[in-house]
Amino acid sequence: MGEQMARSGEVPARHTLLKSALVRKKGAPGRRISAVSAELIILVLLIATALAFDFTNGFHDTGNAMATSIATGALKPKTAVLLAGVLNLVGAFLSVEVAVTVTTSVLKVQDSKTGALIPGIDASTGLTIIFAGLIGGILWNLLTWLFGIPSSSSHALFGGLIGAGLAALGMAGVNWSGVSSKVLIPAVAAPVIACLVAACGTWLVYRLTRKVVESRRREGFRWGQIATASLVALSHGTNDAQKTMGVIALALITTGHLTGDVKEDGLPFWIIFSCAVAIGLGTYLGGWRVIRTLGKGLVEIESPQGFAAEASSAAIILSSSAAGMALSTTHVATGSILGSGVGKPGAQVRWAVAGRMAIAWLITLPAAGIMGALAYWLSYGVESLTGSALAGDGLIFLILVGLSFFMWWRAQQQKVDSNNVNADWDDSTNSVVPADVREAAKETKPTASV
Amino acid sequence: MTYFESIFKVLVVGLLLGAGLPAVFAAGLVAFSNGSGGQNADGTTVAPNPAMKFAGIALFVFVGWVILTAVLWITRATIIHHTGVDLFPFMPKK
Repeated sequence: MGEQMARSGEVPARHTLLKSALVRKKGAPGRRISAVSAELIILVLLIATALAFDFTNGFHDTGNAMATSIATGALKPKTAVLLAGVLNLVGAFLSVEVAVTVTTSVLKVQDSKTGALIPGIDASTGLTIIFAGLIGGILWNLLTWLFGIPSSSSHALFGGLIGAGLAALGMAGVNWSGVSSKVLIPAVAAPVIACLVAACGTWLVYRLTRKVVESRRREGFRWGQIATASLVALSHGTNDAQKTMGVIALALITTGHLTGDVKEDGLPFWIIFSCAVAIGLGTYLGGWRVIRTLGKGLVEIESPQGFAAEASSAAIILSSSAAGMALSTTHVATGSILGSGVGKPGAQVRWAVAGRMAIAWLITLPAAGIMGALAYWLSYGVESLTGSALAGDGLIFLILVGLSFFMWWRAQQQKVDSNNVNADWDDSTNSVVPADVREAAKETKPTASV
Repeated sequence: MTYFESIFKVLVVGLLLGAGLPAVFAAGLVAFSNGSGGQNADGTTVAPNPAMKFAGIALFVFVGWVILTAVLWITRATIIHHTGVDLFPFMPKK
């Protein structure tokens, strides 16, 4: 029925497209139209998933810029996330350099000059690799968010892509030297450098202002905090939205919807706009759980520490991107906050929380990788069974939606939001959920006894 | 190994800007606070000193200028793209 409508020039309703895509009759007329329609649907799902990843990237990284300002009261929680959201949005629009070759750091599926898939890989495989990679990245982002663990979204995406690439192409599909030089080494270097710099900055700040009366010191550094936190938010917007733009560009190049020299001409405005909005919105909705861990869980922060931490983050993020070595904003920000705790004489650092974070970072690549690989295998398996790429990709999309909703629902059961983000940290469990919220959640669960 | 070179560069610049700038800001705060007079943390009082206050403000302006330069650095490529003007001609292009 879809084929008949297509031939008469009408646009088939989406459900008939789906039907004709799923039903592959051998030698049936209009089969080519069904194949194109299926690819279009997969493309649309992929773009939606990429924007969803951008959104999770937003709320995961709000804390990097704003956690310290929220914790010290330099900014009210909602004001802080609004500021960060706007700056991320502006930053995303400001970036003219397009990360079209986003996967070349970790995979060998893209031509590093044109951004197109290399000849050995067909469009369907390429799309499924990207799809599975995004799914791995999103699921890991959501899982770490649920537990309030700051985690690098870039690494989550790279991990997902590596896993999917391994599943699709084996060891040869992965750019191992890129992984080591662009992902692993920076991951170790970033928090160490950040910790050092922030510790020095904090120590200097406290030493210099030891005679200044407390209220003046707090007020003065409050303004400094706002300025440096804004810098971090702006640079985050310019760096991170590009990754998603690059992924969407790759998908469009693969399906032939984007032609010409992308590096020269730039991307279509709707891609930049949608990625900017996605990351801005995600930032504004605020990963309160992550903000809470960064602002309260690691170190009990005062204004001067917050200022030194964000100044350190901003300086390192900017100088590393100038040096061509992109560091993860999360690794840098967390290292800086730890450093600001180390640098202040008598400050309390919760090394247990830091340790948990370090473990999460170590397993980010493999965990996202496993999820990416599983997603790829599932899609490929279903496609082999049914002969339809749409069935395979559609299934993993549905699973993504289901799992995402489940994790979001779990988070709502023990909610952390702008009201309790600064509540006292629960030292007995080191859980991101404040003690009173956890107690309340326990009471609402019905017990067996009547 | 070029990435160890990069790491070293990032560390040095990070220390200069990331630790140095807060130090300058703190110095400015001390100067401004002493210049404004009033109480110190240990209870002693200080007479207002306009010269100190001015020094403090000058240091704040310096920090503001550094931050503005940082924003221009972030938007360097955008500015080149839209106006053709390169504000950092002495720095290598990415």
